[in-house]
Amino acid sequence: MRQLLVAIAACAMVVPFAVQAQEGRGALGTIGALGQEVKKPPVRNEPAPRLPDGTVSFDGLWVGGGPVGDIAQGLPKGEKLPLKPEGVKLMEYRAQHESDDPHVWCMPMGIPRSTPYPFRWVQDITGGGVSAHMFQLHEGNIHSYRQIFMDGRKHPAELDPTWFGHSIGHWENKDTLVIDTVGFNDKFWFDRKGTPHSEQLHTIERWTRPRMDTMVNTVTIEDPVYYTKPFTVTFNARLQAPGDELMEYICQENDQYGQAGGHQNPFFK
Amino acid sequence: MRAKFGALLAVFSLMGSGAAIAHHSFTTEYDGTKTFNIKGTVSKVEWTNPHARFYVDTTDESGKMVTWNMELASPSALARNGWTSRTLKVGDQVTVTGYAAKVAQLRGDARSVVTADGRSLFGGASDDGRPDSGQQQ
Repeated sequence: MRQLLVAIAACAMVVPFAVQAQEGRGALGTIGALGQEVKKPPVRNEPAPRLPDGTVSFDGLWVGGGPVGDIAQGLPKGEKLPLKPEGVKLMEYRAQHESDDPHVWCMPMGIPRSTPYPFRWVQDITGGGVSAHMFQLHEGNIHSYRQIFMDGRKHPAELDPTWFGHSIGHWENKDTLVIDTVGFNDKFWFDRKGTPHSEQLHTIERWTRPRMDTMVNTVTIEDPVYYTKPFTVTFNARLQAPGDELMEYICQENDQYGQAGGHQNPFFK
Repeated sequence: MRAKFGALLAVFSLMGSGAAIAHHSFTTEYDGTKTFNIKGTVSKVEWTNPHARFYVDTTDESGKMVTWNMELASPSALARNGWTSRTLKVGDQVTVTGYAAKVAQLRGDARSVVTADGRSLFGGASDDGRPDSGQQQ
């Protein structure tokens, strides 16, 4: 009976999200079907909470809000990425060098890429409303934070390239957080497919919380080096189960990536 | 009872569509067509990022003692599914099923772990499928 109870408990734990493992099935069934399934959080249709000043609250633990496998999945139906030939060529190269994705070598995901791990906003540091700085705290790759200046400053005229760039934000109607970011490096990939960008990348994110359990991130991406025109993608984030919290994820601790498949770290080639 | 237990495990195996949490692509490291099933003794457990690992001493076909390096999900992903750093212990007798490495010998992506006392631990794989984000992925 104990074994049966354990099995039933295990069954309850592995109720999966309604997604397909990206890389299909292996000889033992769906790859990744066991062990890493995340408990599905409850549906919460009620309105999002508000801060004392009326601004929508982003409080909660979230997963999603950006691409992981393919940024084109966030395009409106029927649209394609407006890639220049240079962008197509770079993606073709990366398709043959999947293991060069900096993310798998414990480098940050950049913007707007997401990870399968949760993140949390720091929105109201003083308890009186939106603070002069906002932060995104990411559990996942790599246990990093992102800083957004909310004090009305402009982007500096010249910026040194960084993984998360220089972000300035403001609120529209206390419902939409608009984040404008420049100053990126060209190292991170937008997704597993290697969708590219250059140091001329400019992102404008529009984050809303239309209901308690959902955030929507609509991102306009400009990059004249690899794209013929700006394009916009939309990704949702899902509120995680009550009681779940950020956990430590120090990716560099024991990263053995590459050894099973025979790959070399592209940063040290 | 064992039959019922086994049947339930089979059902779990067929549940599919799991959201795996890992930081890298399964297909760059492991072969979805090359499986293994070994019995042995846990000789080391690493509750580390980006993947927890455990090592299993066993004998190969020629009778030689070898040590397998088994990859699990991240500690945070395992913890969210009921694991702790003490779930597997050095000295545990285990049967491990999973996918073999593409290149390296004696490395595996542990898919399920069954201990001698009947506990079945879902080890997970290295796939990086993502949780449903509500609308689009």
